[in-house]
Amino acid sequence: MRSGWTMAGNWRERARTLKDEGWWLVSYCGLDALGLRGGSRFEAVAQFRHATEGHRCIHVVAEGDPPTIPSIAAIWPTANWMEREAYDMFGIVFEGHPALTRILMPDEWEGWPLRKDYGVGKVTVEFVPQPFLQIDAPGQASETDGAGREVDRLGQSGAPERHWGTAPGAADTAHEGSR
Amino acid sequence: MGGVSDAVGANFVTTQLDKLVNWARRSSLWPATFGLACCAIEMMATTMPRHDLARFGMERFSASPRQADLMIVAGRVSQKMAPVLRQVYDQMTEPKWVISMGACASTGGVFNNYALIQGVDQIVPVDIYIPGCPPRPEMLIDGIMLLHEQIKSGNYEAKRVTA
Amino acid sequence: MTSAQAIDKLERDGHGAYVESYDPDAQRMTLNMGPVHPATHGVLRLLLELDGETVTKCEPIIGYLHTGMEKECEDQNWRQAVTIVTRMDYLAQFSNELVYSRAVDRLLDIDVPPRGRYIRVLMSELNRLSSHLVWYGTQGLDMGAMSALFYGFREREVIQDFNEMVTGLRMNNGYIIPGGVWEDLPDGWEPAVESILALMSRRIEEYEELLTFNPVFLERTRGVGVISKEVALALGASGPIARASGIDLDLRRDAPYEVYDKLTFDVPTLTEGDVYARYQVRMIEMRESLKILRQVVDGMPGGDYKNMDPKLTPPPRSELNRSMEAVIHHFKLMTQGYTVPEGEVYEAVESPRGELGCYTVSSGGTAPHRVHVRDPSFANLQLLPPAAIGGLVADLIAVIASLDPIMGGVDR
Repeated sequence: MRSGWTMAGNWRERARTLKDEGWWLVSYCGLDALGLRGGSRFEAVAQFRHATEGHRCIHVVAEGDPPTIPSIAAIWPTANWMEREAYDMFGIVFEGHPALTRILMPDEWEGWPLRKDYGVGKVTVEFVPQPFLQIDAPGQASETDGAGREVDRLGQSGAPERHWGTAPGAADTAHEGSR
Repeated sequence: MGGVSDAVGANFVTTQLDKLVNWARRSSLWPATFGLACCAIEMMATTMPRHDLARFGMERFSASPRQADLMIVAGRVSQKMAPVLRQVYDQMTEPKWVISMGACASTGGVFNNYALIQGVDQIVPVDIYIPGCPPRPEMLIDGIMLLHEQIKSGNYEAKRVTA
Repeated sequence: MTSAQAIDKLERDGHGAYVESYDPDAQRMTLNMGPVHPATHGVLRLLLELDGETVTKCEPIIGYLHTGMEKECEDQNWRQAVTIVTRMDYLAQFSNELVYSRAVDRLLDIDVPPRGRYIRVLMSELNRLSSHLVWYGTQGLDMGAMSALFYGFREREVIQDFNEMVTGLRMNNGYIIPGGVWEDLPDGWEPAVESILALMSRRIEEYEELLTFNPVFLERTRGVGVISKEVALALGASGPIARASGIDLDLRRDAPYEVYDKLTFDVPTLTEGDVYARYQVRMIEMRESLKILRQVVDGMPGGDYKNMDPKLTPPPRSELNRSMEAVIHHFKLMTQGYTVPEGEVYEAVESPRGELGCYTVSSGGTAPHRVHVRDPSFANLQLLPPAAIGGLVADLIAVIASLDPIMGGVDR
């Protein structure tokens, strides 16, 4: 893949030249290079296509805080939404964009979800013990009935009271405790 | 037990009348279209010739929540969509039921991240959960038949108070 | 409550907002359409400004189905991320898997055996058919032809049955993986595809009979929602929408991937750029897909269906009882996954909706550093305002249907 780098300051000029040469913009997205390599952190990555010369990729290095890149929405109108998406996900400010607002997240959202220092936002899944059906954990020694046969863990045979959970009152307290 | 006996008081006539009312409610559910993602396509497939949801008296998918009594939440519910979903639910007239179709609507599915509500039951009370990603049309029909049983025998008002 | 209090309450409750936006001098009204609306194909929301029945402003508001999939991919390992990308554009699931798998293939620098390549093309072409069938149904439905929806879904079920036969699932298959495909085609796949081909060539005639020369349909689609070539180019249109506006672009022919360079097919291009042209392009594409499928069935080679490198593919179950090495490989692959060399890559395929791209960055670990999917619906949806403005509200419905946006792909 043909890749090139350019600083934010030269970007608009470079984009004009590319447009004159007949390249058209296909994709434009943000990239957080934290942990990837040294140097700059935020980049916008543009993919171009050409009728005869194929495909090329240009990294635009954002400067300053908040990271800023000049907008190319006036050169390729299709970049309008793509820049809004990069702003929404990475907080990269595109200077000169006609309406730089959040596009995918709600307007009042705080933080930039695709930044590497923004957590995935996992919610811990709680497994609440069911009040009736108790299934032994795998690897636990299986219980046998008097005749030495293995008892069905789902309590379908053998002595049901040993497998059908705790008393209703105890189950309720366990339920409360886990919340 | 149900609508009539709650209003008038339970005796032999009203409880028998409740059964009739529940049977009527069960036999013609009007679902609100709440198709969100992949499950919506399977929900559409359920209404189409092969699976033919019209057999259960519910071929009329209502575009207006005001004219619907069943919401099938088909797909993942994002943080941005959640208030909309609640508003649609509030617009529906009582008695109303909710089916949470698919793993995403029920629990968040494979997406445990910042953008999704981890289970639509955090916003609206759910009557039937249907597993699968997406559930087959047969599973949706099975869920609807379970709901039918619930409506026939159930007491919806008491449930709404606790929900 | 007195009547003055009642009016106060009405104003407070937002009834006033509606009155405010109605400006009697300009004769314009702001109308909110969606996100729950039967004609917006999922959860698209449109903010319209109307002058009578004419649309004077149209702003699509998206994000109601944002699922954080790109972040989720970074949290999974390379193999697991296939299950995430397949849920993006849920009507073109195989195209999504294909583009992601091709990107990882290139980062890993591995070969896919010929049979694997043919199976990939087979599945994604069938997928194009089933996706276009849903489009056909919804386009018809939005124009008032309910039977079109029944027709489309009737044949789609047949293709779904084939998907189920091959992958075990009807949708969200996760079948195409880096290195090839997950399972070989089952016995009896050939007669199944043959019967689909025979059925579809008959049924496409039926569809054409229903709509193509239907005067009502013509009246409602010809000259409606015109997108000029210049606008389409500027806004990055691709796929059937670009081809209906006179842009002769198809990645299957211009940047051939997998085995498309060995197949012959035509790329339909029309110049009208209206809803009817987009309809015609998709109808011809369905016939071309049948042509491609015929060649794929005839040319299907034997051999491996995926790259059998033990560092990439878990060993068969029977090996685990015999070889310690196989157990180690299996354990490593199942717990940690494989690592992918550092680098970045952009791959693109022609999905039923246009150029589907995948920009993938690896930091050398077992999980992607960044997966960005350039979804065709995302770019194509930007064409809605230029196509809708100046037209009637009733025509707006036809235009949305002809753009065929899949919100799962737009919002990801």
